[in-house]
Amino acid sequence: MMGNLLEHMGVDRNRLHFSWISSAEATKFVDVVKEISDKVRALGTTKKFAKDYTK
Amino acid sequence: MKKPRYVREDRCIACGACTEKCPGKFDDKYNADLKPQTAIYVEYPQAVPLKYAINPDVCLKLTKDKCGTCEEVCPADAIDYTMTEEELTIAAGSIILAPGFKPFDPSRFDNYQYANFPNVVTSMEFERILSATGPTMGHVTTFPKLPASPKKKKDKLLAQKRKDPKKIAWFQCVGSRDINKCDNPYCSSVCCMYAVKEAIIAKEHAGNDLECSIFFMDMRTPGKEFEKYYENAKHKHGINFIRSKVHSVTEDPETGDLTLLYVDELGQIITDTYDMIVLSVGLEISQETRDLAKKLDIDMSSSGFAKTHSFEPVTTSRDGIYVSGVFNNPKDIPESVLDASAAASAAGDYLAEARNTLTKEMQVVAETNVVGERPNIGVFICDCGSNIAGVVDCPDVTEYAATLPYVTVAEETTYACSQDAQDKMVEIIKEKGLNRIVVAACTPKTHEPLFQETLKNAGLNKYLFEMTNIRNHNSWVHKNNPDIATVKAKDLVRMAVAKAALAQPLKEEKINVNASVMVVGGGLAGMTAAKSLASQGYETHIIEKKDCLGGEALKLWKTAQGEDVQQELSALIADIASNDKIIVHTNTTLEGVEGFVGNFISQLKTDGKTTALEHGVAVLATGAKALEPTEYSFGKDDRIIRTLDLDKMFKENDPKLDTIASAVFIQCVGSREPERPYCSRVCCTHSVDNAIALKNKNPEMDVFILYRDIRTYGERELLYKEAREKGVIFIRYDVENKPEVKVEEECLKITLVDHVLNRPVTIHADLLTLAAALVPRKDERLANFFKVPLNDEGFFVEKHAKLGPAEFSTDGVFVAGSAHYPKPVNEAITQGRAAASRALTLLAKKDSLFTSGMIASVDVPKCTACGVCVSICPYNAPSFLTEGRFEGKADVNAVLCKGCGLCVASCRSGAIHLRGFDTNQILSQIFALDEVS
Amino acid sequence: MADDNIKIVSFLCNWCSYGAADLAGVSRMEYPADIRVIRIPCSGRMSPKFVLSAFREGADAVWVSG
Repeated sequence: MMGNLLEHMGVDRNRLHFSWISSAEATKFVDVVKEISDKVRALGTTKKFAKDYTK
Repeated sequence: MKKPRYVREDRCIACGACTEKCPGKFDDKYNADLKPQTAIYVEYPQAVPLKYAINPDVCLKLTKDKCGTCEEVCPADAIDYTMTEEELTIAAGSIILAPGFKPFDPSRFDNYQYANFPNVVTSMEFERILSATGPTMGHVTTFPKLPASPKKKKDKLLAQKRKDPKKIAWFQCVGSRDINKCDNPYCSSVCCMYAVKEAIIAKEHAGNDLECSIFFMDMRTPGKEFEKYYENAKHKHGINFIRSKVHSVTEDPETGDLTLLYVDELGQIITDTYDMIVLSVGLEISQETRDLAKKLDIDMSSSGFAKTHSFEPVTTSRDGIYVSGVFNNPKDIPESVLDASAAASAAGDYLAEARNTLTKEMQVVAETNVVGERPNIGVFICDCGSNIAGVVDCPDVTEYAATLPYVTVAEETTYACSQDAQDKMVEIIKEKGLNRIVVAACTPKTHEPLFQETLKNAGLNKYLFEMTNIRNHNSWVHKNNPDIATVKAKDLVRMAVAKAALAQPLKEEKINVNASVMVVGGGLAGMTAAKSLASQGYETHIIEKKDCLGGEALKLWKTAQGEDVQQELSALIADIASNDKIIVHTNTTLEGVEGFVGNFISQLKTDGKTTALEHGVAVLATGAKALEPTEYSFGKDDRIIRTLDLDKMFKENDPKLDTIASAVFIQCVGSREPERPYCSRVCCTHSVDNAIALKNKNPEMDVFILYRDIRTYGERELLYKEAREKGVIFIRYDVENKPEVKVEEECLKITLVDHVLNRPVTIHADLLTLAAALVPRKDERLANFFKVPLNDEGFFVEKHAKLGPAEFSTDGVFVAGSAHYPKPVNEAITQGRAAASRALTLLAKKDSLFTSGMIASVDVPKCTACGVCVSICPYNAPSFLTEGRFEGKADVNAVLCKGCGLCVASCRSGAIHLRGFDTNQILSQIFALDEVS
Repeated sequence: MADDNIKIVSFLCNWCSYGAADLAGVSRMEYPADIRVIRIPCSGRMSPKFVLSAFREGADAVWVSG
C-alpha cells in the first residue's frame, strides 16, 4: 500500500524496502544491506521531495 | 580452585586487539577442533563474561618467556602473566550440580573409521560446519577438517578434491544403546532429533538436490512438536530414513568418497556410496564428573548419571545437593531448562528458612526534577580503545558534537563503560547541571542499562538518556572507510542529540504483587508446584474439579524406576492437606478471571456457590487423560483393556493376572496418526515395564509388544533391554498396515505382518493392552481466561519452546504437567517445581516490580474511542474506560503494555504516545538526517 | 561521486534486525555505509508518516526491517 502511494507520488518502488531478519542472522543483515544499497545506488540520489531549507 | 586467566577480568574490555598478533595456536574446542584459535582467546563470541583468557599450555610468554605481544597491545592494561591459581572458599547452604556431558569419541570404532577417513565427521563437527560463524562459514563441504587455505603440501592435495557433497548419511546410536563396542547401554535421547535437524539445515544450505539419509534403529522423537518435525522431514524435505545399522564403511582413496555396506529391512545386502558421513554421537558423563560425584559422595548409575528418585527428580542421594541437565539423565534443551528451574526450586526450598538473611539494600539517589528546563545535553564519545577511535576520528566527532543545538558538554573518553569514566560522567553531570545525556559508543542492547544506572547515580531519570551505536554499526563494519565512518558517526550523533532533546523523564509504575497463588489442577504437577510455593511462604490455592487430589496419577501402579506411585502420592497428598499455607478447593471450577500479573481476581464455583479469589500468579496444571480408543475392538470384550486398566489389575493384584498364558500390547493407539500427530511419550516405557512385570509374575507367559518405534529414551532403554532378555517379543508394524484383532470365544486373535519374516503372523492372546494416547483437556475456556494459546492438539503453548518451557507469554501465568505435553511422573514433578521456581522469581520481587517507562499512554481528549488499539494489541493492554469523566475512551494498562508501539502507529487520531519512542522523537531523528547548515 | 553519497534511512526493530546489525559488527562483517539506523521498539511502531518524512528530509531510500 505504501509502495503504491509512493509510486503515485513518483518515488521508485526500489526506494522502499521491507525485510525480516532475526537477531542471529548477521549474514542475512549484511546481504540485505548490500542488496538495498546496490539497488538504490543504481537509482542515484533523489531530492525530489526534500524540503529546500535555503528558500 | 580458580584457574588463572592471565587477563584481569576487571580491566579486559573484550576488544580483541590481543588476538591479532598472538603467535600461539591451539584447536578451537567450540568449533569442534575444526579450526585453530590463538593462545589468548575467548571461548565463543557470546561468552559470559566476555573476557579473554590465555591458554598457558601454548602461550609463548608463559611457556618459554618469549613474546609478550598481548601485554604491549592491550589498551586496557589487562594482561597479567603473574596470575596464579587461587583457592576460593564459598560457604553455601545447598549445591546444584550441572556439569553437563561430553560427546562420545567414535575414534575407537574401526568399522566407521572416523579417525582415518576425512569425510567421516561427528555430529558436533557437522553442527559447526552448518554454523555461519563456524570454520566453513556455514558452507557444507567435504574435507571439512582441512584448514580453509592449507599450507602443508599433503593438505593442499586433499583440498583440491574438495566438493559440495551430493549425498550425506547420518548414522544413529553411535556410542548409545551399545554394549558391544562401548559401555553405553542407555539412549542419549537427543540424537534422533538433532540428526533430523542437521539433515534439514544441510538441505537448506546446500540446496534441494542434496540427498540426506538417516540410518537408524528406532526413530525417537517423543518431545513436544518433534513428531511433526520428523514427518515434515520425511514428506516435505524428502529426507530418507533407513532402518538399518550400517555394517562397515570403506573409502575410495582417490576421491575420498565413502562406500557403505548394510542390510536393509528385507534382509538384502546393499552397498551405496556417499560423499560424507555424520556420526550421531551420544552423550557421556566424563571421568571428571564421575570423580566429582564420588568426592561429593552422591550415588550414580552404572553409566555415571546421578541417581534421583522419581518423586524428587532433581535431588541427589545426598541432602542439599541437587542436579540438573544431562548429568541427571540424557536430555535436550527444554528439559535441561526445566531441570535447572526445578533444581533452583529444590535448593531454595531446602534453604527457605534462611531466605533474605544475607541480602543487602541498595542506596537510591534522589531524582532531580528537570521538567520545564531547557535541554542541557552532555555528549560522551567513546573511543572503545582503538575499536572506535581506530577508524572514526573521535576528536573530530567530539568537536562537532559540541556545536549541535542544546549541547553544553562534549567529551571524548577512552572507555566510557569503565568505572572511572562512569564516575567522571556523574561528576560532569552534577557540575554542569546536565539534564540529557547522549553516549556514542557500542550497542544499547548491552550497555544501555549500565549508563542508565550512571544517570540514576547522578540523580537523573534514567530515560533522559540516548545511546547511539558507532561501534557495532559503524567502526567495526566500515573499517576500511575511515572518512565515511566519521561522517556516519557525526550523523548518528546528531540524530541521537535531536532525539535526546525531546526526552522526558518517565515514571516506572510500581506493580503490586498479591502474594498468593492459584494452581489449577490438583494432579502431581499442580501439587508439586503448590507444595514448593507454600514452603517458600506463599499462600497457595489448589483448584480441583474432582472431589479429591491426585489426578491421573491415582491410576498408576509404579514408576519406570519401580517406585510405588500410590505410596508416594498419598504421602504428597497428606503433606498438602497438613500444610496450613495450602488451601485445597475440591469440586471447584473456574468461572472467570480478571486482571493481570500480580492482580488476578478469579471466580471459583464450588457446589453452585461462587466466590472470588485474589491472587498474584497462576499455575495451570490441568493434565491430560487416556484416549478411549475406537479401534482394535476396544470396548467389545473385557480382555481388551488400556494401559491404566492393566495398572489397576496390578495394583489390586487381580487374580485374573495369574490365568494369562499369552499377553499382547499394541503401541501408538491413537498417537502418531494424522488425527493426533504427536507421540504420547510415556506409553513405550509403560508397556515395556508392564511386560517385564508380567514376565516376572510368570516367566512362562508369552508376552508380545507390537510397536512402531520403541521410544525408551535415556536410561529407560535399560528396561527395553531387560524385557528382551526376559523373553518379551517385540514385533514392529507399519501405520499403513496395522494389526488386526479378532475376538473369539477362547482367545483374541491378533494378526500382523512380521517385519523380520515379512509375512503375516497370528498371535493367540488372553489379554490385549492398548497403549492409548494421552489427550489434553483442550480447555479453551481456561485458555481464554488467561489469554494463553493452545496448539492444534489442545496442549498449552509455552512462552518459548526451548527457553521458556514452564511459563506463558502472559506474565504471571505458568504451566506444568501433561497439559503442556504428555509426561511421566518424574518429568511432571520437574515441571511442577520449575513452574513454582519461575513463579517465585516474580513473587520475590514484591517490592521491586516495576513497569517499564517506555510504554504507550493515551492523550484522552484526543481519543475518538474507535477501538482500533483495543483490537490490535497483542497483549490486550488497551481497554475502554468504564467510568469517570472519560468513560468510553481508551486507556492503556501500564502493566500489560510491552511498549511495541503497534497501537501508536494504528491510532488514527494521534492520541496514543509511546514514551521513549514518541512520534516527535522519531521524527526528530529523521529531521536530523541531513545537516541543516 | 555525488551519486555515491546516498542515505538509506533504516528503521530497525530493537529485538530483531538491530540485534543482527550488532552481531554483524561483532563478526566484523563489512557493508556499505549508506544506512542510518533509527532504532524502533518493534516494526509495528512504523507508520507511513515516518516513511514520508524521511523522503521529505532527503532520504534516498527507506528500509524497514523487523
